[in-house]
Amino acid sequence: MIPTIRYLGRFVIEYSIWSKGVALLFYKTMYWSIVGPFKGKAAHRQSIFQQMVFVGINSIVIVFFVDLFTGIVLGMQSAYLLKKMGAELYISSLVSISLCRELSPVLTALVVAGRAGSAIAAELGTMKVTEQIEALETMAINPIRFLAVPRFLALVVMLPALTIVGDLAGIFGGFLVGTRSLNINPDLYMQITFKYLELKDIYTGLLKAVIFGVIIALVACYEGLMTKGGAEGVGRATTRSVVISFILIIAADCLVTALFYFINW
Amino acid sequence: MSIKICHGQTILSLRNVTKVFQGRKVIDDVSFDVKCGETFVIMGCSGSGKSTLLRHMTGAIRPDQGSILIKGKDIAQISQEELDDVRKSFGMSFQYSALLDSLTIQENVALPLREHTRLADEIIDIIIKMKLSLVGLRGFENYYPSEISGGMRKRAGLARAIALDPDIVFYDEPTSGLDPVVGGITDKLIKDLSVKLMITSVVVTHDLNSAFKIADRIAMVHQGKLVAIGTPEEIKHSISPYVQQFIHGSPTGPIDLFKEQKLSIEQ
Repeated sequence: MIPTIRYLGRFVIEYSIWSKGVALLFYKTMYWSIVGPFKGKAAHRQSIFQQMVFVGINSIVIVFFVDLFTGIVLGMQSAYLLKKMGAELYISSLVSISLCRELSPVLTALVVAGRAGSAIAAELGTMKVTEQIEALETMAINPIRFLAVPRFLALVVMLPALTIVGDLAGIFGGFLVGTRSLNINPDLYMQITFKYLELKDIYTGLLKAVIFGVIIALVACYEGLMTKGGAEGVGRATTRSVVISFILIIAADCLVTALFYFINW
Repeated sequence: MSIKICHGQTILSLRNVTKVFQGRKVIDDVSFDVKCGETFVIMGCSGSGKSTLLRHMTGAIRPDQGSILIKGKDIAQISQEELDDVRKSFGMSFQYSALLDSLTIQENVALPLREHTRLADEIIDIIIKMKLSLVGLRGFENYYPSEISGGMRKRAGLARAIALDPDIVFYDEPTSGLDPVVGGITDKLIKDLSVKLMITSVVVTHDLNSAFKIADRIAMVHQGKLVAIGTPEEIKHSISPYVQQFIHGSPTGPIDLFKEQKLSIEQ
């Protein structure tokens, strides 16, 4: 009993320190993103674009395929049920709405957390253990402005952009199932898609993507900058960043979906 | 290059600096002054606290007690912004160079210039060429740190440290891991910088040869305490048993690793 309590206590203390650290990082990142440019201390445009290419452009292919296959699976899965009701026609709107509101933002975020979040944690962690972060500080260069802000901005901008790619890929997947397997007229399929898909369905998805972008950037940068203890520490930081991002993305998705549901958005 | 005028004033001064890590005093009431233009060497065994002392002087660690005055400003007390201002007036050469892996040698040396000055790119290019030829690395501008040898990385790190024409340069183990020839070149470089450019050097090392070659004054640290301080001649003839044991590298004497080990186990 006592070891359990001790374990729980340590868990609570560790994670309250962790949350405080991440909140502080969020504050500093926002400060340098918003106030920094007015003080003549903006993040480098070049490194923001570099990160955007790495996080965004290089993830297009994998995001496209993940969402395409999800669209196909979702199409077939709902066709199975809707056929029984004689309403196969409506798989188009079911696929498009569930993708835009829910699946595309979440899957894109998970892919990016696994691909880019881990790379960010590993890169910053290696910089930490090889004294590169300390060297930046000694040169009076703020590591948060120099390293965290470009990654944060890149993720917050590119994740919604990737989500749109995912939306399109998923709808295309559903379209393939609908037109090839269920023999729905392609024109009719698209008409039904856009009849029920509202603009707010896309907005809510993109808002989620922004929130997930913030989560991935903060967790990866925090774990990277807090790395201790050589190569083993870098490995641990990378794993932790992916695991924590995954959990927080799903939890945040649950919260935000509940919020939208109850305010009827 | 700016010309500095030195009249032997104190540029860096530590007063009763104490730091405790997890109940252990790693820096114990250390005080000394470094004069403008001199080469000051801090010597000691591994784990004696000499690197920790250096990190106090660069502002990476704040002391629990005492003050660290750099050009009259106490960096133990000032805000982060003021500290950053002070930091622009010194450079640091790290033990493992700490160059940014993602940038070329040229971009690494240019980094402090681009961050802290509004110089045009052409002028920055000229300064980089000058600094790199000073450390003998002309022609390696477009290499990445992973593509050159450890000795070259260290010299590139030195070029970055002097990019802003600092008043003080801190060196962490400048000759460790280098072959004797490159080590000798590095020693000469440190000496040249301080003689020709009037740069004050603070060097942390356990390389005796190098210490006696370059130092104007030497301080010896043991278990976070200053045990001796003086010119190389004074240190050589010091009666302190710590210094004698360190200089002769004898396994027995007042510096006893096994006794310390036993003590820390008992604690």
